[in-house]
Amino acid sequence: MLDQLARQIEALLAAAEEPLSLDRICELTGCGTESAEQAVERIERELGSGGHGIIVARLAGGYRIVTDPELGSVVAQLFEGKRRSRLSRAALESLAVVAYRQPVTRAQIEAVRGVNSDSAVRTLLERDLIRITGREEVPGRPLLYGTTDSFLEYFGLSDLGHLPRMDEIESLLSLSAEDLDRAASEAAESGDPFDSED
Amino acid sequence: MSAEEQRACRISLEDFQGPLDLLLYLIRRDELDVTTIHVAIVADQYLDYIRAASELDLDIAGEYLVMAATLARMKSRSLLPVERAAMEENEDPMESLMRHIVLYRAFKEVAQELRESESVWRDAFPVPGERERHQDLITPPDPGQTSLLDLLMAVEDMTGRNAPPPVHRIQRPLISLTQCVQALERILPPGRTVLFRETLGTSPETARIVSFFSAVLELMRRGWLDTRQKYPMGDIEMKRTERWIKNA
Repeated sequence: MLDQLARQIEALLAAAEEPLSLDRICELTGCGTESAEQAVERIERELGSGGHGIIVARLAGGYRIVTDPELGSVVAQLFEGKRRSRLSRAALESLAVVAYRQPVTRAQIEAVRGVNSDSAVRTLLERDLIRITGREEVPGRPLLYGTTDSFLEYFGLSDLGHLPRMDEIESLLSLSAEDLDRAASEAAESGDPFDSED
Repeated sequence: MSAEEQRACRISLEDFQGPLDLLLYLIRRDELDVTTIHVAIVADQYLDYIRAASELDLDIAGEYLVMAATLARMKSRSLLPVERAAMEENEDPMESLMRHIVLYRAFKEVAQELRESESVWRDAFPVPGERERHQDLITPPDPGQTSLLDLLMAVEDMTGRNAPPPVHRIQRPLISLTQCVQALERILPPGRTVLFRETLGTSPETARIVSFFSAVLELMRRGWLDTRQKYPMGDIEMKRTERWIKNA
């Protein structure tokens, strides 16, 4: 059985349309951070004990009640025909580059992948998985892209620190940042003059 | 390459995410070590693959051909004796390519991990259900946000006249260089001087101007056309040369 605070928080999570941060939970319930955190843990334990069809997921810097992924095949029937398709390989690869190298320009994504990534970037923008974060102050002022909260939710991540750890990538990134920038600027120079990002 | 290999090619080239992906596949297939691999081997494998693909009349994306050219150049260089000093000065292009492949491979692996997360979390449905379902409910318009236009559009919606008018686009056929030369031949009688502007007709399209201008340049290059421009931005006087008159 949950105590009053935990029940309140559970109700909030069930009604909210987006992940609720700990700060927001405290604001709405009037409790302190620590007691909110503990209450959430009690809900997690209660729901996660196996006796429920829903779980508390830590997504995009907050908490959200979702149906247990294990029951996906049953629940998915409710949304037959309405579900968004899986991402293409091109989109996933581009997204991986954005996630680890953000903010990043399209030319830099293309430098890593070695192929035009225009439509992949557009798909990711349309699906709200990446957003424009600004412009790089270099000639042409290309747009910079970064990931969104929807990105974190889509992949079940609570924050960017929870991306798959890849030591290899860490060392490679520092190693080849220069190479890639050079490749990107070369690509930009030889790029299609009609292919403008604006 | 055997027929079987060609078939394999047909199946897979479309599956690759560009030349790096293909290179990665070839390296993996032949269990080569990216750190010690010799450029000639990679280049041969890659070029074989592209050649087979082109024999099958596949539409090969430019990126694949650029990589083919790069590899061919790297291979030919690697076969030449190189002075040690020059070698040390310039970074080995193969090394830089392999580093790029390793980097690409790392991102590809991450993409694969993301794919797995996608599979899991796609099956976690948020509570409350999809937002779209709430939007299905009729929400009254905000009074301050409704304009006369909105009302008119609502009426049109109801009377079913809101269907977008059909748009017909007629693409004019592009004029080929040969067609331009033929046209110029008709327009330019031997021995007469004609202005470039006169060849275009009234209110010509940009495509036509450009095509004709390219044709004029081509004819000049061949020595078939004498041109003169009295002042900058002025009209161009054109006259057929003896060579064109003879060749015509």
